[in-house]
Amino acid sequence: MSAPTLDAPPITATGPIADAIRAGDMPGRIWVYSNYHCNLACGYCLTESSPKSKRREVDRDTMVEIARQGAELGFTGIGVTGGETFLLPWMPEAVRAMADHLPIVVLTNGTLFQGDRISKTDGMDHDNIALQISLDSHLPDVNDMARGEDNFRKVVECVPRLIERGVTVRIATTTEGDLDDPALDPLKEFVATLGVGPEDHLIRPIVRRGRADELNMGLVAGAKDIPSELTITADGAFWGSFGPTVSNGRLDTDLLLTRTILPLDIPANALLGALQGMPAGNDAALGIR
Amino acid sequence: MGLMSRIELLDDETAPIPVKQYFADGDPGPIVAALANVPEMVGPTLGFIGAALGAGSTGVRAKEFAILRTSALQQCQYCINAHTTVALDVGLSSDEVKALRGEVELADAFADEADLALIAWIDANAGATGPIADDVYDSARKHWDEHTLIELSITIGATLFLNRFATGFELPTSPEVFTRLAAEGLS
Repeated sequence: MSAPTLDAPPITATGPIADAIRAGDMPGRIWVYSNYHCNLACGYCLTESSPKSKRREVDRDTMVEIARQGAELGFTGIGVTGGETFLLPWMPEAVRAMADHLPIVVLTNGTLFQGDRISKTDGMDHDNIALQISLDSHLPDVNDMARGEDNFRKVVECVPRLIERGVTVRIATTTEGDLDDPALDPLKEFVATLGVGPEDHLIRPIVRRGRADELNMGLVAGAKDIPSELTITADGAFWGSFGPTVSNGRLDTDLLLTRTILPLDIPANALLGALQGMPAGNDAALGIR
Repeated sequence: MGLMSRIELLDDETAPIPVKQYFADGDPGPIVAALANVPEMVGPTLGFIGAALGAGSTGVRAKEFAILRTSALQQCQYCINAHTTVALDVGLSSDEVKALRGEVELADAFADEADLALIAWIDANAGATGPIADDVYDSARKHWDEHTLIELSITIGATLFLNRFATGFELPTSPEVFTRLAAEGLS
């Protein structure tokens, strides 16, 4: 789920949240689940997203306000995920508005930029904006088995076009195997041919939550194993982007922090309080990034 | 939790991080298990309830008068069940409990004029609307300090909240409480 933060702005904010981020005691990035519905239905999806999923949208104005208040509190970046984020027609404009406040990474499956629809990314050739697109294998059949029919072709087609338009693109690969498995080497080489360097190719494990849990896939991870990035959804704020998972149609509440999402200092302070009571994590060892 | 209610009652596995500590020693009961769905409300709500329903400066006997009588007036079966056992534990007699629950005449269980004045004042607060009649208030004040009535009005307010919360969401009485009520002949 995670992605490198773009060049983080200096933290000029004051207060306990800014102090904790400045000291490295609290991650500087906020995640927002803009929606839960998706045009794909990946087997390992944390949120059981699919075309039939309940949308559970965070509206456009709330998204921008989260970015604005996040910057005021001292956060240094924001990520937007779903669901498929670009199913929301207002997403391109919201991304540009959020980028006025914080560097933003938007996760997308990249399948909605075919043909003229690439114009959705107009104005995203911006230092503060990156798109993170999923690709799980250099083999079309293997990739499409996990991510859906024709996914490989659409991704491979759109990534060079986005780069050509000046958009920063990262590729994210989710794997059930070891993160340093030599079997991933051909994929790494393939991603480089798309114009995405190794520093922008993220490889992360499947986490056993959501649909992956039902299928007994992935790493078992508790709160201390999951990056504690403040994560906002229509259902509330959570400990980490792996928190607001859905299992058998039911929202998992074990990593819920607050139902209140704005003002942002309420969930941010709840996360800080929880962090202060949490032993050192194991997220780096598990490679959950 | 295994008992039915209208809302999901969280347990130690599903409890959110900020409220996990309430589940550390086992089932915290349906009120906490329900409140845990809104974790930021748990601390402030339990703090208020704890102060309002705890012994305070008034003492447990008067507090249980307020809690049990209010719950009976509001017909909150969950709270009546739970506070019948609490009232017995703090020394109220079985007859006094029955009277507060409205099952026998108050005069048959209470001889003390101060107790009867307090119960009349509780009835005027928890079971009625509009101003409290002067004679009811004056009678209560004759026996009870002003600050005691203020504290008890907070207890009544907290109890009214709990009555609606428990009744509206159909919180389940625990089997242990039912067993105790049966043993005391107060089912």
